[in-house]
Amino acid sequence: MEALPQTLLFGILRSGLYALTALGLAISLGVIGIVNFAHGEFVMLGAYLGFWTYLALSGPLGVGPAVSPLVLVLGIPLSAAVMFFVGRGLFRTTLRPLLPRPELDQMLLTFGLGILIQNLVSIVLSPQAQDANIPWRFELLQLPGGTLAVTYARVAAFVVSLVLVAGTYVVLAWTPLGKQMRAVAQNRLGAMVIGIDVHHVYGVAFGLSLALAAAAGVTLIFQTQVSPFLGLATILKAFSIVVLAGLGNLFAVVWASLLLGLSEQFVSQYVPDGSALRDGLFFLIIFVVLLLRPSGLGRAR
Amino acid sequence: MRRELTMWLVAVVAVALLPLAIGSDRYFMQLANVMLVFVALAVSWDVVARTGQLSLAHGAFFGVGAYTVALAHKYGAIPPLVGLALAVLVGTGVALALGAVTLRLRGIYFAIATLAFGEVLRTVALQVPDVTGGTIGISMPPLFEGDRVASYYVIGAIALVAVALSLTIRYTRWHYAVTALRTNEAVAAAMGVPVVRTKVLAFTTSAVIATLAGAYYMPFITHTDPNDAFEVSRSVAALAFPIFGGIYTTVGPVIGTLVLRSLEEYLRVTPPWKEGYQVVYGAVIVLAVLFIPRGLVGVLQRLRP
Repeated sequence: MEALPQTLLFGILRSGLYALTALGLAISLGVIGIVNFAHGEFVMLGAYLGFWTYLALSGPLGVGPAVSPLVLVLGIPLSAAVMFFVGRGLFRTTLRPLLPRPELDQMLLTFGLGILIQNLVSIVLSPQAQDANIPWRFELLQLPGGTLAVTYARVAAFVVSLVLVAGTYVVLAWTPLGKQMRAVAQNRLGAMVIGIDVHHVYGVAFGLSLALAAAAGVTLIFQTQVSPFLGLATILKAFSIVVLAGLGNLFAVVWASLLLGLSEQFVSQYVPDGSALRDGLFFLIIFVVLLLRPSGLGRAR
Repeated sequence: MRRELTMWLVAVVAVALLPLAIGSDRYFMQLANVMLVFVALAVSWDVVARTGQLSLAHGAFFGVGAYTVALAHKYGAIPPLVGLALAVLVGTGVALALGAVTLRLRGIYFAIATLAFGEVLRTVALQVPDVTGGTIGISMPPLFEGDRVASYYVIGAIALVAVALSLTIRYTRWHYAVTALRTNEAVAAAMGVPVVRTKVLAFTTSAVIATLAGAYYMPFITHTDPNDAFEVSRSVAALAFPIFGGIYTTVGPVIGTLVLRSLEEYLRVTPPWKEGYQVVYGAVIVLAVLFIPRGLVGVLQRLRP
């Protein structure tokens, strides 16, 4: 029975980063209506930016366990800011001209962009994975009351993700720009009629989407190495979450992430030889959701 | 129409006679084989694109074909040519299942599902090494004892089927059905085009050709493993070639394959590109979509007085 609380805990911890990655994808899909196949590559670029920030700062500041988490977290606003402006620039130069064109062209563009970025990074830097060697990555945190222990890295990644996702929801729910984004997501024409500059909102939404991707990338290196090829695995799970949540349903992303994280953890815990099934689970979810309830978990809004 | 068909007839005869010129050169025969494999992939990808759908699974179906032949040989000692027939059955079944679920919905679902499909096959195949051979993979004896001229005609026939399919769609009433579908699905449905059935049919026939290409390729190079069989780069090539050459045409994907696959042959052995040669495909896709949406064929047509 001891396995149950641990499975629940690990499942929830797992879902934090999933939500952060999927939320950015859901914003570009929900607000602009663009499937960003390059989202995983922007996560990867964010991870490299965070990685370099960490390398540059951890030397002079010292990498003592007390300081290095802060240094790592510092990389988040930095890389998010860079990617926000990259996103706005990319939107203006590549995506905006394609908006009147068929959906196929838009998907081809983001897919091609992803391939381009991935291989460019692999040529310019190195195809090898690199490790930030964070000293506290494997240190265990003993939970009060007994038998549970998790690595600091997992908890830190979860907490950071939680804060960022919650912050994004606050922006979406209460700020004028967030309201404009939701208005555009709900009804493009209606938003135009009431005087919202739709193309400006698109640009900001794409920037925000990439900033979230970058933040997810930095959070990713709490736990794993950086490599030019980490994008694909990241993005596929994020897609399954977005499909599960229902396109354009930004708030259901959290529940969908929890569902994926928990079911993965349960499968690998309780199904004998479950690791093959666990890695394929996201696809099963896409398939079953599309078969039974294509509009996703949440109500359409 | 007659002009294009005459041109294709000449091309087919030229391809059939090619071994007379280079049949004794192992490298060029190998290259000719590989070119035809990718011609089949690129031409068949374009068939799906004509319905307005983005298939990111053509590389995955290629892998399905490769593993069908490999597993049939491993467990049933089934010869590769019979394996090809088996691959048709497997490819049809898998494509029907995938298409029936995803093609009822908006195009983005299909694109996402097809991308996920290949990656899930790869990861799951790696987890069951007893069956798939894991990272080591599976080997089998070469097709026709390594006679590259004989095998050239097998892949030539598969590529010809792809071209014939593409031309059939171009010059029959299917052309109007898929063009209407691509331009506006709701209008197409209102005009009486069976939307889902047309999309599923186009995807399934196209996927079967991709499966056949893989089923041929596996015994040709005598080896496959999950990472190679289901690598994304083959799906990338399958769409980069038609986009560069000229999407929604039959000749475009062929031209795109000849140009870009030759370039790849060079870049693969030239630093600093090497494994990063795919950066070219990424750039080609982005630039073509933005600046020459009709590809090389479109550019040539515009230049003609």
